[in-house]
Amino acid sequence: MTPQAMLDPTHTLSEDTFYLNMGPQHPSTHGVLRLLLRLSGERILECDPVLGYSHRGQEHIAQNKTYLQFLPYPGRMDYLSALMFNHAHCLAVEKAAGIAVPERAEYIRVICAELNRISSHLLWLGAYLMDLGAFTPFLYCFDDREDIMDLLLPVTGSRLTYCYSRFGGVAKDIDETFVTGLRAFIKKLRGRLKDYDKLVNKNVIFINRTRDVGVISADMARAYGLTGPCLRGSGVAYDVRRAEPYSVYPEFAFEIPVRSGGDCLDRYMVRFLEMEQSLRIIEQALDRLPQGPVAPAKPVRVVKVPAGDYHCVYESARGQVGIYLVSDGGKNPYRMKWRVPSFSNLSVLPKLLVNTLVADTIAILGSVDVVMPEIDR
Amino acid sequence: MQGLMQSAAASLSPTVWTMVLGLVLSLGFVQVNALFLVWLERKVAAHIQLRIGPDEVGPFGLLQTLMDGLKLFVKELITPKPASWFLFVISPVLVFAPVLVPFVVLPFGQWLQVSDMPEGMLLIFAFASMTVFAILLGGWSSNNKYALLGAIRSVAQNVAYEIPLLLSAMSVVLMARSMSFQDIVGAQQGVWFVFYQPVAAIIYLIGATAETNRAPFDIPEAESELVAGFHTEYSGMRFALFFLAEYTNMFIVASVATALFFGGWRGPFADGPWWFLLKVYVLIFVVMWVRWTFPRLRFDQLMVFAWKYMIPVALANLLLTALVLKLVA
Amino acid sequence: MSIVDDTLGALGQALGEQAVAAAERPSAGYHLQAQVPAQELEAVAAMLTQKGFFLEFVTAVDRAQDLELVYMFSQWDPACRVKLWLSVPKGQPVPSLARLIPAADWHEREAFDMLGQVFSGHPDPRRILLPEDADFHPLLRDFQAAPGPAEA
Repeated sequence: MTPQAMLDPTHTLSEDTFYLNMGPQHPSTHGVLRLLLRLSGERILECDPVLGYSHRGQEHIAQNKTYLQFLPYPGRMDYLSALMFNHAHCLAVEKAAGIAVPERAEYIRVICAELNRISSHLLWLGAYLMDLGAFTPFLYCFDDREDIMDLLLPVTGSRLTYCYSRFGGVAKDIDETFVTGLRAFIKKLRGRLKDYDKLVNKNVIFINRTRDVGVISADMARAYGLTGPCLRGSGVAYDVRRAEPYSVYPEFAFEIPVRSGGDCLDRYMVRFLEMEQSLRIIEQALDRLPQGPVAPAKPVRVVKVPAGDYHCVYESARGQVGIYLVSDGGKNPYRMKWRVPSFSNLSVLPKLLVNTLVADTIAILGSVDVVMPEIDR
Repeated sequence: MQGLMQSAAASLSPTVWTMVLGLVLSLGFVQVNALFLVWLERKVAAHIQLRIGPDEVGPFGLLQTLMDGLKLFVKELITPKPASWFLFVISPVLVFAPVLVPFVVLPFGQWLQVSDMPEGMLLIFAFASMTVFAILLGGWSSNNKYALLGAIRSVAQNVAYEIPLLLSAMSVVLMARSMSFQDIVGAQQGVWFVFYQPVAAIIYLIGATAETNRAPFDIPEAESELVAGFHTEYSGMRFALFFLAEYTNMFIVASVATALFFGGWRGPFADGPWWFLLKVYVLIFVVMWVRWTFPRLRFDQLMVFAWKYMIPVALANLLLTALVLKLVA
Repeated sequence: MSIVDDTLGALGQALGEQAVAAAERPSAGYHLQAQVPAQELEAVAAMLTQKGFFLEFVTAVDRAQDLELVYMFSQWDPACRVKLWLSVPKGQPVPSLARLIPAADWHEREAFDMLGQVFSGHPDPRRILLPEDADFHPLLRDFQAAPGPAEA
């Protein structure tokens, strides 16, 4: 049978279908996603994602903590881009409460956030190729990622769930060791990206596994509210850093990689090219790093947010993070809604998986790049 | 009573005794070889992946696999309740038994071969195809959906890839005009068959990789899709038998490739088993190298590749060989 | 005419001038806000979708007797963000947008899960994050989490 005939929706043996529970413990569901698949042979007829295995009630916690107490929590949502979530939370509160941030602190935040974006993409790259059966790139990527963590450890104090930004600045200034180490790392990673390009991007098996698989059109992406690389793989150049610039992003020249096909290969290439753009941003930020303080003279302990509602958007490694903050003027947020990109991105999965093969599930799910604790919050 | 046994022993021909002895020796060799291969695989993978690999147990970590084997040996054998008990228990044995038989005819050297049967090559292919029954039984009897899917994939894959494997081997048989391994190696006195039959050699190596379920054709046990495929439910020694069979199979297909295409035990300076083993391990190294470099094919792509490309090319190659031989002769 | 003015005009036409307004503060993070009656919701959402907006999220805020539902619509480029909101008494269903905008499906399930807002006509009205047999809605202000083992 040709693959086309195998995928023909009219070719259904209704009595031979069965259910397969993929996850929550499965090597490729990236955490604790559970997919309930109805299969005919290896062809998927229906998919029902079951979420919530790592629901910790972050939004409920936010209501019961002061703004300052909630500071370390966002990093535990998307643990792969903890610095970015931490940054987003600070931006949202600073904007609402009108706290000024020294310029040097914003530069440092951007440098660290872009480093975090690279490390998130590297982990995704390795894990995605491992899903497709290539184990070796996984370890190469982890090797590079280790360098990033070694760089960030002395500055931020942690390796994964960073809590580095404070209201009005950052916790610690960067030093010369960090800057020279970072410049050396940029040079090294550029060489490594060339290696990955040779090892993976031209590999015929890899291309066959990802091309024309899981195609998302731009209209479909809009209907499901997709953002981030999933949207940019479908030909839409929407990046919050460009559309609604925050922090000091307007000062940097960078491109937004866009691919038009909307398949797994395009989403892969968008992330791959984004790493180079992040390196460019970091280089420019290092070149123009202003002098000055990195935090207010008196640390901000009590945050006063005037009553009302506020919305703040941020581009994380997976797409648009939105923080919808409702304040009643008290010490705690009255309501803090986190619009996380993976939640919307994953919602398209049941539609994408219909009439694909089990092996494609892995390719498609991986290319959407979800982090379950982010979705479950 | 004793007299009866003596007469029974005397009535058995010396070949049977050498065969039994050969099988016993092979059993020993299989174990040591698998331990070495697993160690080699881990070292090769480690160095490809910028790691060091096993390093603690014994010199260069050589005893690491022995320790892992001991660990597997003492582990509890778990049989899932819904599994079909007898078939579940018997399939690891069934998968392991047929990998011993081919050692009877493998030509390690001119004088180092248990028995040079005239149909030796056929024997190997016949027993190699037995493995798939055991895998099917194991996957089916586990009563696990991942195992079942793995077993289904395995059967389809093995059926598809045995055909080009045999067809490419037949081209060599046509040239050597014999199925005996000594004759085939003997025919490669000056030039190895790989130079006469490059297409057959490539098809054989690809087919052999698929036949042994090695990456990039490891779809029956594709970890990221089917957890562990057909041996998802196996633990302890039962799992170890599957593992042992996989590495021994790798050795067998590499040995056959050496005999068919790479001049067997022949080599410069002094012919002998050392050349044979060297070539086999180089081939195995190549297979490992491929495994740690490429992603995995999708199931339908694998099938398309076998039926649409490998088999027609192998057939054309066979016909061309026959034609050229007829014209030359 | 900028996209913001254009949308302001279109919303004003659909809902009446007094229901639509620009955001109160520049720091609000959205450009326009509109109070939508429940029966107009589908029509307004369809109009925004037509204009190229996508649904960012649906959520609710517990305001004692009522739930304040918030639908955030946004556009790729140029940026224009519209907050649609409506106040409904607790327990009163609101028409679901899931059939019109697939993105609303999971967000409405989450709003039901967390705050108990029922969406009538939702194709799949199950809980999404909490266990199926949960009998509480944790983001309501009167919800008290059971003490953990350390506190008990």
